[in-house]
Amino acid sequence: MARDCEARLVSRERLTEDAADLRFELAQAAGLTPKPGQFAHMEAPGVFLRRPVSIAGFDPAENTARFIVRAAGKGTRSIAALDPGETIKILMPLGNPFPTVSPGGDIWLVGGGLGVAPLMYLARVLSETARGLKSFLGFGDRKSVFGAAEMGGLSEMTLDVGGLVTDRVSEALISKRPDAVFSCGPKPMMGTLKKICAARGVPLYVSLEEHMGCGVGACLVCACAVRAPGGTAGYKRVCRDGPVFDAREVALP
Amino acid sequence: MRNMSVDLCGVKLKNPLIAASGTFGFGREYDELYDISAWGAIAVKGLTDEPRAGNPPRRIAETSSGILNSVGLQNPGVDAFIRDELPRLASRGATVIANVAGSTAESCAEAARKLSDSPVAMIELNISCPNVKQGGAQFGACPEDAARVTAAVRSVCSRPLMVKLSPNVTDIASIAQAVQDAGADAVSLINTVTGMAIEARTRRPALANITGGLSGPAIKPIALRMVWQTAGGVRVPVVGMGGITTGTDAAEFMIAGATAVMVGTANITDVMAGPRILRELEDFLDENGIEDAGELTGSLILD
Repeated sequence: MARDCEARLVSRERLTEDAADLRFELAQAAGLTPKPGQFAHMEAPGVFLRRPVSIAGFDPAENTARFIVRAAGKGTRSIAALDPGETIKILMPLGNPFPTVSPGGDIWLVGGGLGVAPLMYLARVLSETARGLKSFLGFGDRKSVFGAAEMGGLSEMTLDVGGLVTDRVSEALISKRPDAVFSCGPKPMMGTLKKICAARGVPLYVSLEEHMGCGVGACLVCACAVRAPGGTAGYKRVCRDGPVFDAREVALP
Repeated sequence: MRNMSVDLCGVKLKNPLIAASGTFGFGREYDELYDISAWGAIAVKGLTDEPRAGNPPRRIAETSSGILNSVGLQNPGVDAFIRDELPRLASRGATVIANVAGSTAESCAEAARKLSDSPVAMIELNISCPNVKQGGAQFGACPEDAARVTAAVRSVCSRPLMVKLSPNVTDIASIAQAVQDAGADAVSLINTVTGMAIEARTRRPALANITGGLSGPAIKPIALRMVWQTAGGVRVPVVGMGGITTGTDAAEFMIAGATAVMVGTANITDVMAGPRILRELEDFLDENGIEDAGELTGSLILD
């Protein structure tokens, strides 16, 4: 169950030119159990709406939640510029997490750009049980790379800079077939991944992003196009029905 | 002990705060966060006789003190609402206002007829949705059309009937008078103000629907003015809305002439807006020695 928490920034570490690693202490965190893939709806000083941000980590002992925020627009810029000690409201955890996998499963994670952030939390949790945890991280250029050292410590990592990370996944799929692939990143990347995984019969779960309103599923603005197997088209709510979807369900480029 | 309850055309509300249609869904999500029966009433997401998929994304754009939306009446249809949502809302003790829309007067009437046999307290006929091509705001644009659709729904509706008005008109009070004369028991206003957002870099509209409805504090002065003008021109009660974010905002709308008020966009920016605004309105009454919330209605002083 989600709760609107008073959150005090306790540390801010710069990861790249425009991305920051933020840790917030949550005043009302007792009993919260965020899972990898879920997100938080964060107040952003100076803008009207909250901003959905994926949860990159959670420490129940310290009541701290970790987020990686890239200063892309006015809202994320103001969050990334918060100073330690400042407080905002954070509503969390929201949405559906990545599905739980049976222990010992062979899981691959595929992240592109900022999409690596939720996979860092996922990798930490999965590394406790999954045997063949592999990760494929793609970044547009050298200066936007983050999280590689951490992901390398938690999984067998392939890093791709400036190319197509999906090519690396394709190559790996020739000799091996994982139990599932979990992904977050740009839609074109996940669209290609969907084709690759479908061809090999590998289940794929993707985490989507959309402009959001309430974050809890009531206002219906964060619609993503879905097509049921029968063929009826409609929309689902990224915030409530997602953000993690079975890739077969959603329309990707 | 102050009295918070108000009478809205025969429906007793435990307080004057109503969750506005559109940002509260069918109450399911907020039900997990607080006791939704704390609201005076809940106006559910707009219902049409047949299910609707709504508009393609992107459906929301932010402004400096509000939002533009173009959801396009996405809803599961009135039958599914009565079957899957209403029993749960009723079991929570919520007073339910069914918001009804349609592309023709006949389809509005059909939806209202079905709801008249259900345990909803009231029907709010939406003749002011700016985000659908047919019906919607078209009905609300001139007094004759507004009266025609109101009369069609009135003839089959056994519940109190409220009509939700569009601000995108020259003279909202004349529309209010027309729907009153066609049998409306109350009017609610304002729906969103038609607007637009453009991404300069890409030279494209922000919303897939190109235009959308503006809501939030940005429209509050317009809404207050329209509530005041309308309340002065009709006999039926007025329900006011448009950017209400605090208890004081709610009081202002009542002073302008509203019997009750609706809270929409504030639910989006603060999921706990309902109980918070109620607490703030109670505090406002106490601090000003007001024993009956209804005392505020139409109490504007013009020196």
